Amino acid sequence: MAEIAVGIDLGTSNTCVSLMRDGKVEVLDNAYGERTSASVVHFHEDGSVEVGNSAKAKVIHAPAQTISSAKRLIGRFYFSEEVKKAQAIYAYEIVEAPNHGVRIEIREEEFSLPEISAMVLREMKQIAERHTGESVTKAVITVPAYFNDNQRQATKDAGRIAGLEVLRILNEPTAAALAYGFGMGLNQRVAVYDLGGGTFDISVLEIGKDIFEVLATCGDTFLGGDDFDDRILDLLADDFVAKYGINPRNDPYAFEKLKLAAENAKKGLSVDEEVLVSIDDVLKNDKGEAMGLERTITRAEFGQLVQDLIMRTFKVCDEALQQSDLTVRDLDGVILVGGPTRLSIIREAVTAYFQQEPRADVDPDEVVSMGAAIHAASLVGEATDSMLLDVTPLDLRIGVAGGLAEPVIERNTPVPIEQTRTFTTFQDFQESVQIRVYQGDNRLAEDNVLLGQFEFSGFEPGQRADVSIDVTFEIDADGIVNVTASDQVTGEAASTQITLSSGLDDAEIQKLIEDDIADRVATAATPEAVVAEAMPEAVNPLVAAPRVTSLFGDDAEDLSMDGQPDLDADLDADLDADLELDLDADADMDLDADLKIGLQPAATPRVVSKPAAGSNLNLDTDALGDLDLDSADLESMDDEELIQLTDEAPPEITQEIPLDLPIKDADPAIGLDAGDDNDFFDTSGADLSDPEEPVNLNGKE
Amino acid sequence: MSVSAIDPLEITALAKIMDELNYYQLLNVAPESSTTDIKRAFHTVSRSFHPDANRGLEGELRYQCGLISKRVTEAYCVLRDARRRKAYDHKISEGDNLRIQLAEARQAHDIQRKAELCGATPQGRQFHGRAETDLKAGNLAGAIQNIKMALTFEGSNTGFKAMLAELHERKKALS
Repeated sequence: MAEIAVGIDLGTSNTCVSLMRDGKVEVLDNAYGERTSASVVHFHEDGSVEVGNSAKAKVIHAPAQTISSAKRLIGRFYFSEEVKKAQAIYAYEIVEAPNHGVRIEIREEEFSLPEISAMVLREMKQIAERHTGESVTKAVITVPAYFNDNQRQATKDAGRIAGLEVLRILNEPTAAALAYGFGMGLNQRVAVYDLGGGTFDISVLEIGKDIFEVLATCGDTFLGGDDFDDRILDLLADDFVAKYGINPRNDPYAFEKLKLAAENAKKGLSVDEEVLVSIDDVLKNDKGEAMGLERTITRAEFGQLVQDLIMRTFKVCDEALQQSDLTVRDLDGVILVGGPTRLSIIREAVTAYFQQEPRADVDPDEVVSMGAAIHAASLVGEATDSMLLDVTPLDLRIGVAGGLAEPVIERNTPVPIEQTRTFTTFQDFQESVQIRVYQGDNRLAEDNVLLGQFEFSGFEPGQRADVSIDVTFEIDADGIVNVTASDQVTGEAASTQITLSSGLDDAEIQKLIEDDIADRVATAATPEAVVAEAMPEAVNPLVAAPRVTSLFGDDAEDLSMDGQPDLDADLDADLDADLELDLDADADMDLDADLKIGLQPAATPRVVSKPAAGSNLNLDTDALGDLDLDSADLESMDDEELIQLTDEAPPEITQEIPLDLPIKDADPAIGLDAGDDNDFFDTSGADLSDPEEPVNLNGKE
Repeated sequence: MSVSAIDPLEITALAKIMDELNYYQLLNVAPESSTTDIKRAFHTVSRSFHPDANRGLEGELRYQCGLISKRVTEAYCVLRDARRRKAYDHKISEGDNLRIQLAEARQAHDIQRKAELCGATPQGRQFHGRAETDLKAGNLAGAIQNIKMALTFEGSNTGFKAMLAELHERKKALS
């Protein structure tokens, strides 16, 4: 019997888990019959943790203890734009950890982002265990195609902390294409337009029977459905300011109310031509009187608000098509992924851009986790013949002299791949070199993301340019980067799995696993009565998916869970009721019902499940050699005397080793001007350097 | 549970001789193969050697299989791209190495392209440069004169030829 391995779509807004059994894929619903759960973690006063749609409902009352959109922050540095943006938007406390790491502080306790995500993953694990009656320890987890190495590593860490062996980090659009084309014997070129809560990805794939080859993938990690909400939120907040002269953004509770109203208005607009947003009580004035807001938003108005955001996605699409040498006319299908693609305004724009209707038979909320489940099954040997050939989304670069970063592996190169470049020292008897690895599309090192740096000294010091150091860059099938340096003479090698300098090191992860931090996640019991009672409330018409996507050729009933009432019947009735948003913070009990986000009765009995899986962890630490970077290493580097080259230090990463200018030792035969440093690594001036000539690595004395 | 798409003996054998194979031999295609043939071959070989197809392998075998898989991807990346493939063909015709790094292949192509645009000989570059200067100054006749001079040093330079043809066109349009 094959092992159980699930597919998890860990989204910015919602998370979904699927399992392939006996050749069929099913989306596993949670204890409340919901097929997706909000990626929201709420911390109770007693330290226990609640995850999902019920946790999301808590945001109004306890915004500082309720963490949403953790995916926007995972694998980021504290100084990054995204973190600043999140600090402005979210009520929870985002604090800085050593080495520019990011932590979230709740009730004086600090949590890393992988820990928060691990709690969401643990919930998914528990859902799967409830369905299978067995311990579930293996998973394929999806990430936006455009995620960099730091973000992928952090997601993988989250899986480990949750007690899961992560079989594969899979790109979301690739997973969607797999679910779409699996077992269909297609010969098609398709585009996957994936607009999630926080990120946008476009992938162009060629499906040849059961081979899924990604031709190109492009994305924008700063663009998602949340940005659409924000536009409506701004509209509402500005209205409120105009009416009362008070900015509701300054009050976390008022802000959350407006945010929820904006989100619901957006969803409403995908069904109706206009929605009425009506909030009785955004804030109270000095006399304790409620200050409310009423506003009608039409689809046309919304269209204008988000026009530029939609155009931004098409610019990215242009790029992906260009990189795959195709035009829209070459595409046989367009697959939409992500909740925001349910918006009619997006569907219309996509139809116009691609000159064809997007596929209607793919459920944008579930297709990614279904694809992940198919791949998970194939990885544990449940017979599937499908084969995924994916690419790396970003240029992999090495820092060289002059503050530049030279590409070693270009974006959209298939993975796994390995490339070796030869570098030389630039000073006589230099004893060590700094190897710094970046991801990004910029020639200037500081405009890329630093993945990690390490020092290599395992070579025989000699005259400059006599020393040859081979640096090997590997990107594995997960899109994770590995870098090795070796000396051609001594044969000595040092390697490191590039670890995010602000991330968790292996010992920390190990400790979190031992402490079983994810065990705080309480799981809901499922007495039938509770489920049945919760059902009509539970249906958010825009989240509740059609029961089955037809792509597997199954009858709809095949995938619905036994004993669960059919939710569809209530949909239409609920739609209209949903559009008028009546928010009243005083009436706590009514609140959930009105918002349609309180997906379960507050009195639901809870039990804490003890994970049986803890002992099963496969700690596949590819940590190699002695140069594994950890925070201590980075700190100690600070203190060493370095050659300061540029006056302008790169922003924030002040402990970086400043770069030096190599150059002088170029072969005169090829006419390299001494001192013409910029051209040395400039591909446009490539005639000046011999490709065979080793490139100088900056180093320190 | 052991999942492997290929006989372990075959992995060991291929890993051993991999460095002696050129990319065409590695993908098992003829040197004159079309891009479509190369893509198909890449798919076929990936089925056998991609890490996903060999999850059950461990230790040295897993490592060797990984090496093959990565080399196969490299071969595909070079051969599917006309510019890189040209640079690679040139390299193996000189017989010095059977591998080419992707960035190197791109760079070799850029050098060649720049030579085409600006000249491969000092004199060619010199007269091409003068032609450009003339053109900027609006001296069409001078530009024609100089690019013709450049062509006497590099008679087969397609970039120069194209420039001369374009200049003639412009002259015709003026008169």
